[in-house]
Amino acid sequence: MKKAIVYLNQFFGQIGGESTAGHQPAIKEGGIGPAQELNRQLQHAEVTHTVVCGDNYMVENEEEAVKQILELLSDKEFDIFISGPAFKAGRYGLACGAVNKAVHEAFSVPVITSMHTENPGVDLYKKELIIFSGGESVIAMDEDLKKLAVYADKILTNQPLGTAEEEGYHARGNRHQIWRDDQVCAADRVVDMLLKKIHDQPFESELPVPKRDNVPIAPPLSDLATARIAVLTSGGVVPVNNPDHIRSASATRWGKYSIEGMERLEADIFKTIHGGYDPTAIDADPNICVPIDVLRAYEAEGKIGHLYEFFYSTVGTGVTQSDAARMGREIVEDLLAVDVDAAIMIST
Amino acid sequence: MKFTIGNFLVQEIRFGANTSYKKGLLTINKSEALAVVCEDDHITEADLYLVHPGDDVRLLPVKDAVEPRIKLDGAPLFPGVTGQMVQCGEGITHALKGCSVVVVGQQWGGYQDGVIDMGGEGAKYTYFSQLHNIVLVADTDEAFEQKELQKKNSALRRAGLRLAEYIGSAVKTMEPEKMEQYEMVPVADRVIPLPKIALVLQVQSQMEKPGYNTLCYGWDCNHMVPTFINPNEILDGAMVSGSFMPSSSKWSTYDFQNFPMIKRLYQEHGKTLNFIGVILSNLNVESDQKERSTLFVVNMAKTLGIDAAIVAEEGYGNPDTDFTSCLVALEDAGIKTVGLTNECTGKDGRSQPLVYMHEKADAIVSCGNVSELIELPPAKIVLGNLQALARDGMSGGWADDELLGPSVRPDGSIIMENNAMFCGDQVVGWSTKTVKEF
Repeated sequence: MKKAIVYLNQFFGQIGGESTAGHQPAIKEGGIGPAQELNRQLQHAEVTHTVVCGDNYMVENEEEAVKQILELLSDKEFDIFISGPAFKAGRYGLACGAVNKAVHEAFSVPVITSMHTENPGVDLYKKELIIFSGGESVIAMDEDLKKLAVYADKILTNQPLGTAEEEGYHARGNRHQIWRDDQVCAADRVVDMLLKKIHDQPFESELPVPKRDNVPIAPPLSDLATARIAVLTSGGVVPVNNPDHIRSASATRWGKYSIEGMERLEADIFKTIHGGYDPTAIDADPNICVPIDVLRAYEAEGKIGHLYEFFYSTVGTGVTQSDAARMGREIVEDLLAVDVDAAIMIST
Repeated sequence: MKFTIGNFLVQEIRFGANTSYKKGLLTINKSEALAVVCEDDHITEADLYLVHPGDDVRLLPVKDAVEPRIKLDGAPLFPGVTGQMVQCGEGITHALKGCSVVVVGQQWGGYQDGVIDMGGEGAKYTYFSQLHNIVLVADTDEAFEQKELQKKNSALRRAGLRLAEYIGSAVKTMEPEKMEQYEMVPVADRVIPLPKIALVLQVQSQMEKPGYNTLCYGWDCNHMVPTFINPNEILDGAMVSGSFMPSSSKWSTYDFQNFPMIKRLYQEHGKTLNFIGVILSNLNVESDQKERSTLFVVNMAKTLGIDAAIVAEEGYGNPDTDFTSCLVALEDAGIKTVGLTNECTGKDGRSQPLVYMHEKADAIVSCGNVSELIELPPAKIVLGNLQALARDGMSGGWADDELLGPSVRPDGSIIMENNAMFCGDQVVGWSTKTVKEF
């Protein structure tokens, strides 16, 4: 019998609800809650331990929390590591992704998890991890556990593995050729697809192209000299203590920082935390990325009406499209509330 | 235009006194056949071998494959290449089915050459392992290109064309066992109330220098603008395969002669669609030339009143831009399209499948991944030169690799990318492969 270890959050790990979300990682023998059910469903493995960690503790101290978990696992023998299911719970999904990734890197065992397609953990980790397509909430628990158990049994017994579609996990941009079981040749498939397309019937491309969101270009301002202008950047310029703990890569948060009374951004007050470029020049002069100095000059000249007293910042590198879009929507809402007329978005 | 193929179903091939055919048995007079090969002074050495499905034989470097045929009116099998300029696709041509002439370099391979395994695990990767093959293994005096990555393989490929015609002559005066007929009435008379379909063939034409590209009646397809061509012409020797592009993406001369996508559209004609014809396009490298070709394809399709089109691409990488641009431009003109191609997703499967992708290219049939890693045991017999895979820059092979070692191992086993499988992705329509997410 092979050995499996399961990761759960404080709620499913039966520590408690939201008030215990700061719970530090702990390891317990045997399967708790969903891990117990998983143990029942697994035919070729036994759940020997369950790791439990509070969602908030993980999200706020990811590096430390992951380190603690790896330590807890360091003296355990296991053949597979399974997290979740995390359903649509965002923090839990991010935790399952971070833990699975670290466990795979540290112990080279197969790692699997399950999340609903809208869980931000899917976009962030699907390229690297196998994340089964899960339900929206705990109602889907049995079904989600079953998919995990079936796949785990296949891996542990070296059975041939199917495609992402057949097995039920999120496609992750990992494409390989296969021979079709039905042996239908390409010429037949072309005619079939063509006829369906002609007759407006549903068809499935064998090479799906991800849809692009094209943002229309905004109409010009009627009068720049009276406009209220805000500055945004994905260049990672923040106050030196990074008060919002924005990540240097794959950021999920943005910050809003006052420039009231400032003629320029001073180097000892601001710096960049962006991990994707050499910070030397911008750390020496943050105005290279967020040009408050020049905009203040324009303001004095009357070229622009007014520079909004906060600038917005996040880190662009590695951010998933869905997180980027969400942060954009949040910032726009904020800007509209204070009647900003136009924004300058500065990349790096 | 009415074209008849009289088929003879070859079940066995032997060498013998007379080149002849009798009830499934094809007999070849080897010295006569070799004399045809050696009509070209550039051929310095040549030999013929017969290989059959399931044989533990590996062929490489494979240059081209050709179906043995003969035209009853005495016209050359490949007008403009092996003889005078006459119309293809009319009258009667006899064909020896179930076999092909496979041309293999005795010494030298190149970027465009491929591998055929007749038996074992490797057999599933090419169409040609299921045929009885007459294998020409030969060398030439084309010293100028022996060490070149890109080879024209002129003498060898032309020898294959002549040999196919010589062998085909065995059945010139005989009664075929099975007839196939392809008739294209003039476009103006094809007034049936079904969607009008065109097949757009983007043939390989990336080389600027002469001698490497696909030929149409002997004309380098790099130097043409897209043209309307009767599908019968393609099935009857108007097209000769080129000598450029990694092998799995290539369309051999045999592929053109048997083009399954064309035959499939003929079969569907009058039932679900109205097959108007083929728009022959190319895959040049300069932007202007790409855009001009797309423009010609779209205007021709509009002029012909095409409702829906199939675009097939012979190649990958740079030509993906022509492929996707053509699909998008046809869609923009209100013509519904389906694309037919292969992908390059890398050994790890993680690369963008086509160099250029567009959401309007929303219907694609995918025939394989050129960079899929393939490991095969040694074959008992190798015809040609096994080292060519590692030494000569064949597109799926390598001399050495930090992780994978050399493509050709001391015991004769090989590790390579699908790229080197001879016409392995069968984009002409045979492929039962597809590409899936894992």
